[in-house]
Amino acid sequence: MLRMLKPNAIILHKTRPQVGQEIQACIGCNECILACPAVAEPITIDMLNRETLSGSISAPIARFARACYQCGACVAPCPVGLHRDAMMLWLKVRLLSMGAEE
Amino acid sequence: MNKLSDKKGYPWFFLDAMPSWINTWTVTICIILVCALSLFVYSRFSTDLSPDSLAGYSYAIIGSTFMLLATFLYTRTRKSHRRKIGQLNASLNWHICFGIVAMFILFLHSFGNFNPRSGTYALYGMIGLVLSGFIGRQIDRFVPRQITQEVKKALTEQGDDRIELISRNVQDIVSYNTQNLSAFPANAPAPTKATRPLPNTVAASNPISIRGTSLPGSWDIAYISLEETPQEISRYSQQYRFVPDKKSALATPGALMPGYNQQIEQLQNVQHALQREQFYRALIRYWRVFHILLVLLTFGLTIWHLVYAGQLLIPTFFRH
Repeated sequence: MLRMLKPNAIILHKTRPQVGQEIQACIGCNECILACPAVAEPITIDMLNRETLSGSISAPIARFARACYQCGACVAPCPVGLHRDAMMLWLKVRLLSMGAEE
Repeated sequence: MNKLSDKKGYPWFFLDAMPSWINTWTVTICIILVCALSLFVYSRFSTDLSPDSLAGYSYAIIGSTFMLLATFLYTRTRKSHRRKIGQLNASLNWHICFGIVAMFILFLHSFGNFNPRSGTYALYGMIGLVLSGFIGRQIDRFVPRQITQEVKKALTEQGDDRIELISRNVQDIVSYNTQNLSAFPANAPAPTKATRPLPNTVAASNPISIRGTSLPGSWDIAYISLEETPQEISRYSQQYRFVPDKKSALATPGALMPGYNQQIEQLQNVQHALQREQFYRALIRYWRVFHILLVLLTFGLTIWHLVYAGQLLIPTFFRH
């Protein structure tokens, strides 16, 4: 119970080059997606990694990015210590920019 | 609905209604309607509308069961190592559904009796818990967008750190101004020379001799040379702006470093954005801790109420 009371560590955002490095380092084990309480439909980690940095964003990934509430639940299960929340935040920034352009 | 779901932007108000979300809300509404209907039917056939009536006990048992389901099903799914993608989200939806249903049924259990007793406090705890969950969901929905806006301020269009960019600009401005300032004494004569008395050579062209002693030309008060003295700087020279008078616009702070103040202002804006980002992240995390603390408080109040009710019920039960 006391473990539940301990909040996840707060990290600030990462820059695009840092996010790019993290995506390169992702081994695609799906642990972050399994631990995520925001993902509501089946998506693949490859799809997520591909659409995070550049290119078009598909509807399921856009829905997932909007639903992500940056709780940090995805950070602890990652076997290589990556910050999926920072990657999702970059996706959110892209969505926000796309919305502003429209 | 699909149009809203497929929208690529990130609006303040969006509705991504997924099947599990629709299912759980349908079930929630159905259970609430059935319970309300049961109360209506019971009130038609019985006059005993109190928390310790048959219907009151039924509501208490069902409401407590939903309360336990809301707490432990979600916790069990979170702790489980065999999960599917989306299972945790579905479990969270059921957690919300059971929480709302539990609050509603326990409210029916009270039958409108809000005496200052243990049961009322337990019900208030439950209402507070559901409200904190509702507020938490709104925080989870709106605060991440706010975080994204702050992050956008802290990053450049290319996604680089804006603080680094501003630092580089400031460094460039400072080095540019330093170069200009250091160029100033090189073009103009050194100040030490300016304060030195004029050499004899200045007046040597027209020496005045008194008893064989040579005197400089400036000794004569009427003598004014039209030649430019070393102390003078041309009004039109570039260095003129480095010696403004007090009333000049150049005397204002930052006038000698154009663009520096704007850069510092931008830097402060980015720093404030970072502080706000950190605050919003802390809000999301600590609201969850607050919600868990409310769970503990509500459980404590419910146990207190059960002990209180047990002390009243058990002697009555054994008497019969």
